[in-house]
Amino acid sequence: MSSFAEHSTDYAVVESEPPEQLGRNLNTAGHLLASATAFFFLAFVFAYFYLRALNNAGLWRPRHVNPSLTLGTLAIVAVVASAVLIRLGLMDHRAGRRRQWRLKGWLALGLAGVAVALQIAEWATQGFGPADGGYASVYLGWTGLYAVFLLAVIYWIETLLATATRYRKIESGAPPAGHASGDSHRTGHDIHDPLSLVRPSLEALSFYWAFLAGIGVLTWFILYIL
Amino acid sequence: MSANAAVPTPPRRRVVGYNLLTGLVLGVVGYYVGWWIGHHIHATSIGYFADTNQNDIAVFLGYFLSVVGFLAGLGFLSYPWARVRGYPPSLREKETAGVARYFGLCTDHKVVGIQYLIGIGVFFFIGGLNAMLIRFELLRPGGQAFPAGNYLTLVGLHGTMMMGIMSSAILGPFANYVVPLMIGARRMAFPRIEALTFWLLMAAGTLLATTIFFGGFPTGWTGYEPLNDQANSGMDSYIVFFGLVGISMLLLGLNMIATIVTMRAPGLTWSRLPIFCWGVISTASLMLLASPVLIAALLMATLDRTAQTSFFIPSAGGSTYLYQNLFWVFGHPEVYILALPGFAVVLELLPVFARKPLWGYRLAVAGMLGVTLLSWLVWQHHLFVSGINGDLRPFYMLSTELISIPTGFTFLCGMMTLWRGRIRYTVPMLFCLAWFFNFLIGGLSGVFLSDVPSDVTTHGSFFSMAHFHYTIMGGLVFTFFAAIYYWIPKMTGFQLNDRLGKIHFWTMFIAFNSTFAPLFAIGFMGQPRRVVTYPSHLQFLNDWVSVSAFVLGASMLVFLANFVWSLVFARVPAPRNPWGSRSLEWQLPSPVPVHNFDKIPVFTDDPYGYGDDDGRVPAVVPVGAPAGGGS
Repeated sequence: MSSFAEHSTDYAVVESEPPEQLGRNLNTAGHLLASATAFFFLAFVFAYFYLRALNNAGLWRPRHVNPSLTLGTLAIVAVVASAVLIRLGLMDHRAGRRRQWRLKGWLALGLAGVAVALQIAEWATQGFGPADGGYASVYLGWTGLYAVFLLAVIYWIETLLATATRYRKIESGAPPAGHASGDSHRTGHDIHDPLSLVRPSLEALSFYWAFLAGIGVLTWFILYIL
Repeated sequence: MSANAAVPTPPRRRVVGYNLLTGLVLGVVGYYVGWWIGHHIHATSIGYFADTNQNDIAVFLGYFLSVVGFLAGLGFLSYPWARVRGYPPSLREKETAGVARYFGLCTDHKVVGIQYLIGIGVFFFIGGLNAMLIRFELLRPGGQAFPAGNYLTLVGLHGTMMMGIMSSAILGPFANYVVPLMIGARRMAFPRIEALTFWLLMAAGTLLATTIFFGGFPTGWTGYEPLNDQANSGMDSYIVFFGLVGISMLLLGLNMIATIVTMRAPGLTWSRLPIFCWGVISTASLMLLASPVLIAALLMATLDRTAQTSFFIPSAGGSTYLYQNLFWVFGHPEVYILALPGFAVVLELLPVFARKPLWGYRLAVAGMLGVTLLSWLVWQHHLFVSGINGDLRPFYMLSTELISIPTGFTFLCGMMTLWRGRIRYTVPMLFCLAWFFNFLIGGLSGVFLSDVPSDVTTHGSFFSMAHFHYTIMGGLVFTFFAAIYYWIPKMTGFQLNDRLGKIHFWTMFIAFNSTFAPLFAIGFMGQPRRVVTYPSHLQFLNDWVSVSAFVLGASMLVFLANFVWSLVFARVPAPRNPWGSRSLEWQLPSPVPVHNFDKIPVFTDDPYGYGDDDGRVPAVVPVGAPAGGGS
């Protein structure tokens, strides 16, 4: 064993980290993640206008390439409604109405799931495929990857709700040490009062989900309206 | 710093458990599961592959599930699964004693830094070996060792591995290790994500190497269309590699910014932030924003190769220029992702070895931020000869040349810091001084490539190759070694051998210039990149370059010998602060305890107040204070 491997965690030092620190981290990370997401979808915005302007081989958008406006609109309405519900749930959480937050959270989760289901239904019923020109490529790539982002948000909502539901009877303090993950030598939680992190995580989620819903509205406008 | 209060018993070492071995086994299993599913999809739903005799869906699914299996074996899925079941958040994992923690998921930022150093070193040597083989092939004008296709794969492997893996060469090992120490934090903002970035990079490098089992790829590191779409399954390795590197860089950038923004100790204001941290922020912001564009472009290429979309197929409504644009929107910031950390290392080390405060701190910061901003406005100079609208050329020529201004700020600050300094020619300092020489040549030759008339004649030639080797190898790799020699005593507790270090430096510096300076001439004389043959009258120069390259490769062996000798055999303990630095990481014991600080320090000064006291007084008051960001 080399000398740089001899140390180990002084658990007495690290197991009392104030949750405010992680709250700030989550808030910052939510904004940074939103900026990265924006640049990701900017590539598709660029692809849309670039390929549309070039219209190579006259195959930008053949006549039969028309996704269902109804299904697309319903999907984006579900996304926006879910983001609004999360925002309302955050307000409930801030006001101490934990039960109402959980209710709105589960509804938001369901609506996000509905949005993904509607998108899948649209792919299954549309009368064109990925090989039908530039628009079809952008449409399928953009909506497909947006759906992947929706799944990531669904995961985020679910983890918050799962924690809030599992420990709904614990007002403050920490659950048993064994509930922290990973290290079998841990004697306690490395975050003081980890359950208090539901709020900052919910705040970060609310911001990011609203931002992603905004990208969804832009997606809908470009792909269905323009 | 007091001794640890309670050291827990090390865990029993288990072969079966979450570790590298399990990760590798599950990675292989995952690959075959993906492969099987891919062929099932092929057989039942997509007839396209019957015509092309290749099944990219199977390869992509295999790679995807291989990465999932690898991460699962390392233990990365346990925490997300625990969160799905509602268990509360936690920060740290596997921060126990023992060498085993270096072979699995460990959230200690110092372990991750050392993991990065070794992991990147391995792939750097593989990429370097490829370079040796390339130069061996070019000893004679006609093909001798490799068929043209294999030569292209060799060039592609070298370029892709170097550009991808070395993007994290400074931020991975050194920023992960020292940034929390420099800012008075006990950890990175997101320790699991920190560990994930490393293991994703290792998975990426390994998968790229498997391209040789699928026929390699012919595109070089840029992956240009339409060759990308037409290439065999070896191309899939390239796409997966750069996709994983992109995700790793994105998360690394996010984590770095979040850490520096939120976890600075009290008193560490923005104007006191070590210049290295400013360089890290600049680089991290480029990683955060440029990588998503690369990932998007590669996903489009993946869809073209698997789902028959036509993003990049002109005959079906797409455009190959779309790929070029998206790639270089990432690609040019990528150049600065490689260069800016070098700036940061040089500016951090110069005051230590010149025994002077950093000259023009704010100017240096402005220079790095200026480069960061301008790097977004130059990408189309890579398309000057691709047929872009001629009206766009003047703007991109001007914006590219403008970058020399903020870069000049960095040079000026560095030179003025040296001016009338009490310079100590230590090994790290020698590498920093070499950076001035190398990067100056790289920068000046870059002007020729940003200028449309000269770019038209030099584009795609060995001239441009010499240019970017001067900027990337001369700018990044030299500072990478400066950082190794400088921070290894802190990271390991041992000192590297000084004499071997100087032999390494001088051999590398002379051989580097002897290798790449003649390439400017070879390029002017018309030898194109990525072509296995060349006119016979260029043989002398090519032979000169090849022999120099072999010496350059040998200089790396000197380093490797020094590294192994000093850390494994000689093991000379390093003093706590061998360089007399005022930066906070050097005020801690070597090696640093896992929790870094018993109490969060309070900053009372900037870290560059050299001169009055020979720099031996720490710039912090190590008294107790609540954790939190600097005001």
